[in-house]
Amino acid sequence: MLGRARELFGGEWMRRVAVLGGGLYRPDRVRYEVAEEGVAMAYRQMLEAIPNLDPMDIDFVQSSYFSDHLNQQLCMAWIVQDYIGLHRKGGFRVEAGGSTPLDALINAYFLIKSGHYNLIAVLGWEWMSEVDTATTNEFIASASDTDWDFTVGGYYNGYYAALETRHMQLYGESIEDLGRIAVKNRNNAVHNPYSQWRSEHGTSYVTLDDYYNDRIIAWPYRRWNCALISEGACCLLLGSEEVAGRYTDHPMWITGVGLGTDSMRPGDRLANWAYHGAHKGDEKIYPEGFPKPLTPYPEMANFGFAREAARQAYAQAGITDPVKQIDFCELFAPYDGVELCLYEDLMFCPRGEGKTLVRQGVTERGGDLPCQLSGGLTAFAHPVGATSLLQTLFCYWQLAGLIPEKFGDPTLQLANPRRALMTGHGGTGCQGGVIIYSKD
Amino acid sequence: MPEEVKVIEDKASHIVGEWEEYARKGNWTVKGYQIVEAPSGPGKVGEGKKEQYMVIYRPHGVLYHHSYGLVSKFFKGLLDNKLLGTRCPECQTVYCPPRVHCWNPRCKAAETEWLELPLRGTVHTFSVMLFSADAFLEQLPFVLGYVQIDETHTALPIQVITAPTEVFIGQRVEIRFRDKRNGDLMDIYAVPLPGQSIPEYSCLHMDKKNLQDMERDLENTYSFLEKKFGLKKEQVQRRWQEVK
Repeated sequence: MLGRARELFGGEWMRRVAVLGGGLYRPDRVRYEVAEEGVAMAYRQMLEAIPNLDPMDIDFVQSSYFSDHLNQQLCMAWIVQDYIGLHRKGGFRVEAGGSTPLDALINAYFLIKSGHYNLIAVLGWEWMSEVDTATTNEFIASASDTDWDFTVGGYYNGYYAALETRHMQLYGESIEDLGRIAVKNRNNAVHNPYSQWRSEHGTSYVTLDDYYNDRIIAWPYRRWNCALISEGACCLLLGSEEVAGRYTDHPMWITGVGLGTDSMRPGDRLANWAYHGAHKGDEKIYPEGFPKPLTPYPEMANFGFAREAARQAYAQAGITDPVKQIDFCELFAPYDGVELCLYEDLMFCPRGEGKTLVRQGVTERGGDLPCQLSGGLTAFAHPVGATSLLQTLFCYWQLAGLIPEKFGDPTLQLANPRRALMTGHGGTGCQGGVIIYSKD
Repeated sequence: MPEEVKVIEDKASHIVGEWEEYARKGNWTVKGYQIVEAPSGPGKVGEGKKEQYMVIYRPHGVLYHHSYGLVSKFFKGLLDNKLLGTRCPECQTVYCPPRVHCWNPRCKAAETEWLELPLRGTVHTFSVMLFSADAFLEQLPFVLGYVQIDETHTALPIQVITAPTEVFIGQRVEIRFRDKRNGDLMDIYAVPLPGQSIPEYSCLHMDKKNLQDMERDLENTYSFLEKKFGLKKEQVQRRWQEVK
């Protein structure tokens, strides 16, 4: 592993970086503590989980939250860092829509990897219910191009629905396939006592029939196919290999990191020259009778950022057969079609075969590559700035074998998992990345 | 304003006075409060102890003055019944939405040339919207389309005015201008060209259940519109019947 890192990055990039533990503040549709109090509670939970951590040992505070509009407050990172009293130390926020928490993690990773810092606290949160739902959607949509996409009545449910319609038309998945994903994620989330689905729905399983009774929001998506609106927080501690042993017996190593981007407006992806010819195999897998755009991959059907990011992350982590070498995934899938497309873009299967993985149950609990065991963005929660941190904490507990203890329910604990994949992205896949987490 | 800046045409500044009323109403002063009992703490569902919280209601109304920059030409074109795009002189890519600089990395941000586009296109993809952001609730149900205008290489976001159960990928459309125009993309809309039948391949139509479920939820949307805006189903449906 280290040899491979040396080959890729040279000597200075040698040292390894790990997630050393964390804490959360349970996300729900609406919470009444304010952000800094929620973060403080997650921070406190983190300190309880890592008893050797003296807060003054933390070198840097990496804050992560998405929207300034939602709370009538700019620079909330200052309020939060102030509230937990971690002054004198450096600290700043990163922001990139849905990619915010992923970028915060990756930034912390870079800062430690480079040798600049040893120990970083990553704090993430979002409070999304201070305005009504339609306005929340509007504010989120202001992360799309407001002169073009938003103007015609678009908002994220609509953009992603249009992307899924395109993929569905080209590659033939059905509403039932989207329903299977929705049902899978809900039936995982009932075993996650921190999930919003459990708070709203309880602990009973749902079926495809229940899915069909759910209301269409933006065809082909029903309400259940769409990300939740949440208020919640999460804190993680990241450290270098030199210090990791002081804080935990269960470091979760970051063994691969990849980043990618795509166009701001999804409609421009038909002629995205940066992708032209970059994925020839995928460009060929195109149904007959449909005129090919200038850039047949990813165009409006797939997620090019994820392919680019996966290539980088797999190379670093030595992954050549993801389905075999990865034990579970926490994907950033705000819509169920995104999950299906990511199966393809992350090379779990060839382009167009995402539906086959769904139908064969590969990504179900008990399948070869379970995805969204936590419930994901549609059933666990999606407090934007905290989302990838919550998913990371889930990966951490999963790899450390702590799910039964933390959840009071062993159902979601896999037998001896070694390696996890997490993605994150913002916009309609405008920017995002992949992280590989390993037990060793 | 800098000395070199001159206002050539002004159909906006009257709104500043009108907006003052909203600004006064939306000026961050607290309009009311609630006392709410809700769980406290980071723990699992059902674990939190109850606390009382004070919740204030505080508005914030804003008026932006936003320049369309060098693509202003496109929006001025809409006012003149023209649909404009740009072409890169190096790689010949035609953009609509227009780009003033080509984004092909090989063209090194070359300046593009403007051209007038035909008022015809093809639906590249779409979503049938049965819920939306505040500003568009009254327009529900509508089809959010991405239409590739003929002679261009990208897709333009545009509403397709048609019965929600009749849109499909590959549908040929005509671009029309609204009578009343504001200088944004809502000044235009797409209408299916006559004489097309729904193709067998259409993903919305392949499974009859898709259409049945759509009809069911369209009824829900009509009820919502009647309750919220007093709109009758027939009035709503007239939107797409009238453009045929």
